[in-house]
Amino acid sequence: MDFFLSYLALAAIYVTLSLSTNLLVGIVGIFSVSQAAIFGVGAYITGYCLVNEVMGFLPATLLAAFVCLLVNILITLPSLRVSGDYFVVTSFGIQLLATAAFTNWNAATGGASGMPGVPPASVFGIELVEVWQNLSLCLALMLVCCLGFYLAMHSPWGRLLRAIREDELAVAASGKSVLRAKIGVAALAGVFGGVGGSLYAVFLSFIDPSSFDLNASVFLLTMVVVGGARTLAGSVVGPFVLLALPQILTMIEIPTTVAAAARQGIYGALLIAFMIFRPQGLAGEKL
Amino acid sequence: MSAAAYLSVDSVNKRFGGLQALRDCSFTIAQGRITCLVGPNGAGKTTVFNAITGFLRSDSGSVSFNGATLDGMSSQAIVRAGIARSFQNLRLYQDMSARDNVASAVPGQFGEEPFGALLRPFRTARELRRVNEIAEATLEHVDMRTQGDTYVRNLSYGEQKLLCIARLLATGAGLLLLDEPTSGLSGEALERVMALLRRLQQEGKSQLVVEHNTRVVMAIADDVVFLHQGHVMAQGTPQAITSDPALAAVYFGGTI
Repeated sequence: MDFFLSYLALAAIYVTLSLSTNLLVGIVGIFSVSQAAIFGVGAYITGYCLVNEVMGFLPATLLAAFVCLLVNILITLPSLRVSGDYFVVTSFGIQLLATAAFTNWNAATGGASGMPGVPPASVFGIELVEVWQNLSLCLALMLVCCLGFYLAMHSPWGRLLRAIREDELAVAASGKSVLRAKIGVAALAGVFGGVGGSLYAVFLSFIDPSSFDLNASVFLLTMVVVGGARTLAGSVVGPFVLLALPQILTMIEIPTTVAAAARQGIYGALLIAFMIFRPQGLAGEKL
Repeated sequence: MSAAAYLSVDSVNKRFGGLQALRDCSFTIAQGRITCLVGPNGAGKTTVFNAITGFLRSDSGSVSFNGATLDGMSSQAIVRAGIARSFQNLRLYQDMSARDNVASAVPGQFGEEPFGALLRPFRTARELRRVNEIAEATLEHVDMRTQGDTYVRNLSYGEQKLLCIARLLATGAGLLLLDEPTSGLSGEALERVMALLRRLQQEGKSQLVVEHNTRVVMAIADDVVFLHQGHVMAQGTPQAITSDPALAAVYFGGTI
């Protein structure tokens, strides 16, 4: 039972990250491959705060969200000057820089060996040690993020973002500021990433740079592609489906060494197959 | 420059590398009139649009509108000042409905930034309805009332042209810069656009229109500005311009 609840909690965490990626890549068309970096910043901030008893879970999450908001604006800004394909390359660089920082800033992150022993979250005096308690927390924050995404999409701002994805020049010619809209979307994506990272740190109680590397960024992209870009449903479906895959694989009689490789292979194959045969994903629209 | 000039383009120069796209380009347009900007391909018509609307910084010269200079203003600020432009290749949002295309251009919407959208959801929802009503009314104005939900990619080319004009109207601008609003149209679709431009004029919208079709120019223009190699060769009534043999020679490929 705990096994299944853990799966749900982890999927809920990844929904917030998938929403973050979807906002940038799907909604506004900023093709970022560095969303795991933001995820990592959020996780390390909460991890550091809790391990060193700087503050409790809720203030740490707020701090993580705020810092991720700022960092995400900073790393998205190049998209205003370099467009499309060029931004992908820029964003690659940002991801590599982040991984280097996570791996080498030993004092703050524990370096390559990671940060063990992140204490469980404590909310309003209750320490969340049971899996179902963690699941409740993850689902609650996931729902808050989903609500935020929904409200954003059903607003003049959301319409403006979709217009920007289609034609920035036409948006400018309509008298609207592309810069302001993009800063706003980077901020919201940063908050989602920070919240997701924070939950991840307390839920797994151990974080290391491999959770926030380029593979992780590609995994987030895969979630958006498989779930479906540009919709709330897509961002929810993607993580639940992709995180179920490894569990399903365990039911097949293959050696564990093969299973790990098979998982990577299946993610890759899924990404290719969806882009070719179903670009709108399971529950979304075309990227 | 006459005192009545609504828009005044004064000695504007623009060079792209070795190409002098605009050369001491000067003309004025009067309020409430349709001015056609004509000239052979490569004369600099679209560059004039870009220079007026802040999409290009001119090397020298100045543009003023309604008595105030536009120099150094961003393209967004120029739209807010009252000048909106269309594009030759339309630049509609293909994956969005006709209504959303128009609504996105309505100025001053509440909830057009994250704080309003996320923290005041009910007010934002009301605003969305208000803006959608404006968009519906604007679509009706261009005879596309029933097409609000249709995605741009499912509209005919003629309807897309009308939608472009609707999007400009939604900005509330008093001066519309239309880049070839009738190109590629014929028959009824052409008539619809021409009739719309005339109707907009009666409603007080001034227009500067890049136009190639002489018949359209004769039918809608109050004034014609003739541009050649980035320089205004003549400005006058359509009759005066079209009856000038020297201009006709230039237009059809000659040189002076």
